Amino acid sequence: MIQIECPFCGKRDQSEFSYGRESQITFPALNADENSWYDAVFLRKNTYGRQIETWQHTHGCRSWLLVERDTVTHKIFSVKLAHTDWQKQIKKTT
Amino acid sequence: MNPLRKKNQSRTDNVEENVIFFFWNNKKYFANKGDSIAAGLLANNQYVIGRSFKYHRPRGIMSAGVEEAGALVTIGNGAYTEANVRATTTELTQGLSVYSQNAWPSVKFDIGSILNVLGRFFAAGFYYKMFMGIPPFEWGRGTKIWMFFEYFIRKAAGLGQSSRLPDPDCYEHMHTHTDVLVIGTGPAGLQAAISATEEGKDVLIVEQDYAIGGSYLSQPDTVELETQIEVLKKLRVTILTRTTAFGLYDDKTVGLVQVMPAKEYKTSSKKPRQQFNICRAEKIILATGAIERSYAFINNDLPGIMSVSAARTYLNRYNLLLSKNIVISTNNDSAYETAIELENAGATITILDAREQIGNKLLRQIAGSRINLHLGSGVVKAEKGLNTSSIGKIKLVEFANNKWRYAGNLSCDCLLISAGWSPVIHLASHQGYPINWNEENACFLSSGDNKSIFLIGSARGIWTKAGCIQSAKEIFQYNSRKKHKPSTVIGGWETPLAPLYEICLHNIKGKAFVDPQHDVTSSDIRLAYQEGFISVEHMKRYTTLGMATDQGKMGNIIGLALMAEALNCSISEVGVTRFRPPYTSISLGALAGRNRQSHFKPIRRTPFNNFSIQNKGVMINAGLWQRPWYYPMESESLEAAYIREATVTRRSLGICDVSSLGKIIIQGPDSTEFINRVYTNPFSKLPVGKARYGIMLRDDGLVFDDGTTWRLSENCYLMTTTTDNASSVMARLEELLQVRWPDLSVQVTSVTEQWGGCALAGPNSRNLLTKIIDDPSEISNESLPFMGIKQVLMQNVPCYVARISFSGELAYEIYIPSDYAQSMMEFIWENGQKFECCLYGLEALGTMRIEKGHLTNSEIDGRVTIQDIGLSKMASSNKDYIGKVLKNREKLTDSDRPQLVGIFPKDKNKTFKAGALLNEAGYLNGHPLGWVTSVTYSPALGHWIALGFITGGLAYVKDKNIVLSDELRSNFLDVEIVSPQMYDPEGLRLHG
Repeated sequence: MIQIECPFCGKRDQSEFSYGRESQITFPALNADENSWYDAVFLRKNTYGRQIETWQHTHGCRSWLLVERDTVTHKIFSVKLAHTDWQKQIKKTT
Repeated sequence: MNPLRKKNQSRTDNVEENVIFFFWNNKKYFANKGDSIAAGLLANNQYVIGRSFKYHRPRGIMSAGVEEAGALVTIGNGAYTEANVRATTTELTQGLSVYSQNAWPSVKFDIGSILNVLGRFFAAGFYYKMFMGIPPFEWGRGTKIWMFFEYFIRKAAGLGQSSRLPDPDCYEHMHTHTDVLVIGTGPAGLQAAISATEEGKDVLIVEQDYAIGGSYLSQPDTVELETQIEVLKKLRVTILTRTTAFGLYDDKTVGLVQVMPAKEYKTSSKKPRQQFNICRAEKIILATGAIERSYAFINNDLPGIMSVSAARTYLNRYNLLLSKNIVISTNNDSAYETAIELENAGATITILDAREQIGNKLLRQIAGSRINLHLGSGVVKAEKGLNTSSIGKIKLVEFANNKWRYAGNLSCDCLLISAGWSPVIHLASHQGYPINWNEENACFLSSGDNKSIFLIGSARGIWTKAGCIQSAKEIFQYNSRKKHKPSTVIGGWETPLAPLYEICLHNIKGKAFVDPQHDVTSSDIRLAYQEGFISVEHMKRYTTLGMATDQGKMGNIIGLALMAEALNCSISEVGVTRFRPPYTSISLGALAGRNRQSHFKPIRRTPFNNFSIQNKGVMINAGLWQRPWYYPMESESLEAAYIREATVTRRSLGICDVSSLGKIIIQGPDSTEFINRVYTNPFSKLPVGKARYGIMLRDDGLVFDDGTTWRLSENCYLMTTTTDNASSVMARLEELLQVRWPDLSVQVTSVTEQWGGCALAGPNSRNLLTKIIDDPSEISNESLPFMGIKQVLMQNVPCYVARISFSGELAYEIYIPSDYAQSMMEFIWENGQKFECCLYGLEALGTMRIEKGHLTNSEIDGRVTIQDIGLSKMASSNKDYIGKVLKNREKLTDSDRPQLVGIFPKDKNKTFKAGALLNEAGYLNGHPLGWVTSVTYSPALGHWIALGFITGGLAYVKDKNIVLSDELRSNFLDVEIVSPQMYDPEGLRLHG
């Protein structure tokens, strides 16, 4: 069972988190054409190895996180808040 | 075999207070404290323990450890029954009941053993072949013949029977964190724990046995062990006995299960029977030892045949000399130490060594003794003794001119085998660390990752005690130099072993077992090869080799070797199947812990819960929520109750608990923009004090959820969601705000539990409201129009009143702060008595919403578009929102998609159930036109009605005869397809 270092709550068991999606997906504008929405919703890289993905600390502070994880070894390289401004704020306070 | 208990030994004295009694097949026997079940049985001359899985052959004790494939027993009675317990690793406790398995009427005479004679029909792949039919005409091809045989096979095959009673015991979960986890307490494990502690590390040692010591326990004296334990005690190291490390998982997590001895958990029910411990360690040291292998020869499963190390354990740990006349068949040096000890204990020893030469040191060791040594020798067949089920005679072979040759008979009643050692590398394999075949020592080896997972001692393939201890010391020496490359030499025998997996001669026939627990023979392996199942993974599944409860700890390598021989390649080319957790079987109770029955999921109760129960509400689980289902009067049935509740509500007034709806507060300068993006319909012009029904889509354009959203002030909204989707909508909004649109300044907060929601529905609802709120003028038709919301004072408590209706009647929802909910509800109910008034539950709520064609998750099931549910008018074309683009995909806009409709039976007396299919008359087979989602009796219409989906909707089926078919219940009836708004379609009642 992997552990994820939540920037607010510290190192916690995976069971407190829910997986979101691959984070390299860029969602197009709400009025973008069908093809770019199709790509964003249905096409996945399914990376073998290191990728950044989103997780939510559902049973904790409920932050959405960017977790850099190896999909083969499950090793976690970095964790940060997905919300860019919050990320800056947490840096200022620490 | 005639095992003898030696007298006057230091470890298990035969003094009275150390004697305990136990029951073996209901007969009373005595044993010593500290005995395993196997030792206790041997001491009482009981060596036929059970019958085998397939052929019902007598099975005895084959080992003294976890690899045991023969001595499986059932312990305990009634609800405490535990089946398939290894007699070799389970401690005997005072008064324990032990039973043999898979035998009828008794282990000594078992009718099922007729299968042994019919054995050739039950060879590898028997089950698969049955599906092909019986040659030459493939009689019964398909499942027919299998069904025929299954009944008998299920009766005959199998092991112990577990109790069908609920488990009376309690199980506990626990989390442990430590610097170093050492698995195993043999010489290597104890030394590693000492070295780690001396380095200042926090150390935990686990041992699967009930005694500390591992292979130390099998040695003639325990001085060394006691010294090491003394050191550990001084260092205050935690040692958990009876604790199996059953699996190694990601991130250095080890699953441990500690099993209490039988007596402990029966005397006090509060003590857990087993404890599941999730252990996280910085370093994990596997000092898991090695398991001695056997080899395949005919009748190698006879009681009286066991491993050499087992005989040593029974001799030194349990003071049991197995026999006065012992033959040892070996191919390596390790057996000689035991031979000498057995001889000293008074047995006559014959050693058959498969090697043609052995080292001088070894020769000198046995020089002074009366041990008969035969070099280049082995066993080809074992035979039963007269009037016994156990071994009485063996056929010898000798090695000459590169092949085995028959060399006469030898009588013996105890045969010990050592055909090499298999290091226990299971845990390393769980994490996928490479496993390599070591030719010289004929075993698979792994070295972990040498950073955090280490293997030491005989688990690394080191056979000498000094080498094992050295390998433990090394880990810490190397670590302090930041570099680890173990230098300890693998192996350590004077003369290398001679690989030995099978001895067979073409003129001596019989069954030679590879996997004695699953009755897999060497000819089964050859059959698998002949029939093309040559990959290890195929061979395993075809023959079921290694798939029994022992997971092939003794037999797997023989199977691989036989396959390698058939393929004419090396074992490393054949490969090995990956070991999977658990290492030994663990009970599901331990994994479940306290999460059982009502503790499996949390229960959510609404703030009106007590009120509902006081008023005789029958509760039902709706997701995690407990919601009132119906409120029966006297002995009213569910059906009578909901019909009455719906009728009274439509006629006068009903009150319902709707607290479980998700409630989310949305605040911030961009909240209007945010809500506009998540709902399909526009919210920018929604005035403060009004609510609007909204539909939310997923990114892929399908409907996600619906609910009303109320504008409380300029930048503050209260969004309600369906009960089912409350948490997923919340997580979704958080994701959008934190990941996708961080530029929006919006905060969302779940307030579901902060507010109790109560619906007042029916023509008298406003009349009741005027009686209960402090200023009745606030809720007149003008000041609170349809879809209006208002904060009002009720008994001086600020509450929200919204004029919204799920029932289709004039109705209000009142949201009350949870802490006041109970008393407010009592107050409302008291005032309701001035009218004809009832409480209504989920069932009546459902009835009224079906009559109105309102939606729940039965209809919004994740497969429907906004057009399918007839709400395409709510999809704005003037703004952008999630799902707008993809909802217009080709197949999602087809007019022949199934669409929401109402369903009436043509014969108004008929009933039907949800899940039934809709077909055109005359086309009952094949793909249906539609299906039924929700069904109810409609008191307003006086017959059964339903909601469902049908291809093309109302327009397409207008002139067709539609048949509702429920094949499972054999219910077929003609139905009329109508608009989903089945009652008051103009909404006249709604506006009161």
